[in-house]
Order: sequence, then C-alpha cells, then structure tokens
Amino acid sequence: MASIARKQIVPNQGATVREQLRAMDDSAVVTAFLGGEERAFSELVERYQARLLNFVYRTIGDREKAEDLVQEVFIRVYRHLHRFDRSKKFSTWAYTIASNLAKNELRNRSRNPLVLFQTVQKNWQDDDRPLQFEDTTSRPDDMYRKRHLREIVEESVAKLPEHHRNVFVLRELEGKSYEEIAEITDCNLGTVKSRLNRARNSFAEIVAPYME
Amino acid sequence: MEGAGTSFHPMGTGNRTLNNPQMDCREFRNKHLSYVDDTLPGVELVGMQLHLTECVSCARQDATVRRSLMLIRSLQRIEPSPGFSERLAKKLREAKALDAASKPLVRPRKFAAAVAATSVVMLGYIALSLRQVDTPRDIMLPPVVATLPESVTAPMMSPAPAMVASVPAGLPIWTAALFAEQVPIHFVSADLTLVNSNR
Repeated sequence: MASIARKQIVPNQGATVREQLRAMDDSAVVTAFLGGEERAFSELVERYQARLLNFVYRTIGDREKAEDLVQEVFIRVYRHLHRFDRSKKFSTWAYTIASNLAKNELRNRSRNPLVLFQTVQKNWQDDDRPLQFEDTTSRPDDMYRKRHLREIVEESVAKLPEHHRNVFVLRELEGKSYEEIAEITDCNLGTVKSRLNRARNSFAEIVAPYME
Repeated sequence: MEGAGTSFHPMGTGNRTLNNPQMDCREFRNKHLSYVDDTLPGVELVGMQLHLTECVSCARQDATVRRSLMLIRSLQRIEPSPGFSERLAKKLREAKALDAASKPLVRPRKFAAAVAATSVVMLGYIALSLRQVDTPRDIMLPPVVATLPESVTAPMMSPAPAMVASVPAGLPIWTAALFAEQVPIHFVSADLTLVNSNR
C-alpha cells in the first residue's frame, strides 16, 4: 500500500488529473486506481473499450452482444483489480477476461443452434455497418464490390474454427505478440503458432476466389 | 498450402548455409508464419526467398496469404455505440451497490474474534456436559446373597511341586508327565461341592 500511496496523483502541477492519467502507462494507471483515484478507471475504459469491442465482436460476430460482454469485462476488472498481478500486463489480463467471456458466449450459442454467427451478421442492418471501404469518388459498382468484399472478409473470419479465429483476430487485428496470445488463450507458444498458421492459410483459401 | 509444391530439395535444414540455403516445400510451409512476420534468422530468410523463386506453388500461396492479410488488416475498426459509457456507468453503480450490500456488517477481524470466542464457549460447555455424564454418582450394586460358605481348597500333594520344578530344573519332559499323572485333580460340581478324584 505504501507504493500505491506514493504513486497517487498530485493534482497541483498544472496538468489536470485526466491529463496526468492519460500520460501514464497502464501499470501506473492501475496503481493510481488502487490508490483510490476513481478517475483512473475511466482512463482504463477509454483506452480499452474500442480494442476489446473489436476483439469480441470479431470473435462472436454480434455487435450488440459484444458491447454487453465488453461492459461485463470492465465490471470484472473493477471488482477484481485488487487481485490483478501487477507484474503482468494489464492489457493481457483484460483480453484474457474478454476472451473467456467470448468463449462462453460461443459455447452457450452452440447449445442453441437457432442463433448462428452468420445469421447474426446477416441480420445486422446496413446502416450499422462501418463504411471503411466507402469512397465518395468511387462509382456505385465499385462501392458495391468493396462492400461485398468486406462482407466476404467478415464472413470468412466467422467461418474459421473458434480456436483458430481467436488466435487469428488477436494477431491480425489486435496486433498481439505470440507470447501474449499464448497467455490470453492459455495455450503454449507452439500451439499458438500452429493455430495461427492454419488460420492464415484457411482464411487465404476462403477469400482467394474473391481477390482474383 | 495444401497443394504439392513443384520444387523439392532433399537437403535437410541442418545442411543449410549462406552458400547453400535451399529448402523443400514442407519446410517452407512450416516456416511461412515466421517468414510473413519477418522473424526468421538471416540464413533461413535467404532460403525462403530462394525457394520462392524456384517453386511456383509456394510463391502463389505466399502471395495469397499476404494479400488476404492485407485485406483483414484493412477492416475498419468499430467504435462503441453512443450510449456505451452511460450504460457502463449504470452497471458499475449497480455492481458497487451490490458489493456494498453483500459486505458483512462487522469487519472480518472482529467477526473472526467473535467466532473464536463462541467456539471456546461451545467447546467448554460440551466438555462440561460430557464430564457430568461420565462421573459416577451413587452406584447402587445389587445385594449379594451368600448361599454356601467358602470352601478351603485342599493343599497340593507332594508330587505337584516336583512337577513344577522339573521343567526349570532341566529334567526330561516324560518324567514330568509321569508325575503329572499322579497329581490329584479337583473338579467343581454344579452344586459347588469339592470333589477329589485320583486318576
């Protein structure tokens, strides 16, 4: 507690508490929160909400449910941060919680075959979809082709087996190292590499016909 | 990756040097992950590049994987919906309220002390109860009615000590058995009268 107390924020040095928190690394923000600075938790939420949302969404394919699960992640973080081993990375811990929740969601969904990944994705309204491939200078047929390609990509990710998809998303979309993925997924390094290699090849095989 | 490559070099990995960095399709496939992530050591990197120039199948596969990865990495990231923060704040308030409600009214140390004191009292009470049960108060024995006077057993005849003494004295067993036959045997009858009989 002494070390925590030492790292508490002193708000009289020009910058606001939020600015100071923004300048800190994760470990320091966690320490500040444990030292009683409630605003540190908001900083953690701000840092990780989009990252975790993307990860969970790409894993389960349902945006609304993904938001619920990410909120659950933050509630668990809030409740159990005092038990977090601060010798490890906060991001790995947060992703591990998210990964477990996503896995549970998929497991529950598999017990109810009426709700499938593709079904959820197809029910998603066009207006809700990100328009990353859109370009106002493009012709309508180009726009259609690009949107179609994006759908193909998302569906191809969804077609990967769950444990391959998890590793694939963590690596290719979240940019995690092999070691971090091993820790998040609770697998050894060899398994992570093997799964990632297979996932890459499977994904390439699925999207290849659309890239010609 | 599954298709057979067109180039095969029987040389194993162990023989690879900067002057001779060739590899076969299987090895290429096994190392492709590290090759794409650019984590291969120099010698193997050269071997992979050389293999790509020689094997059309592997070169095609390499290009497909790289292009597909560009595609997936260019997917736009989604952002939380506008009400995300408010909903999270509400859930956190609920969680805090729940935690506060489930907290014990007394502090853990005080609670532990109270439990210990209660345990001591309980154990004392149990021990006292057991002691009271075990302690005999007034033992009421049934009255004894003597029906016959105690009879005096006849003293042993002279051969008996001789038989007893024979074994420690090292005498042969058969002599002891011989003496034993002469020892008077006393039987007690059912009506508690002493009977003497010699065999």
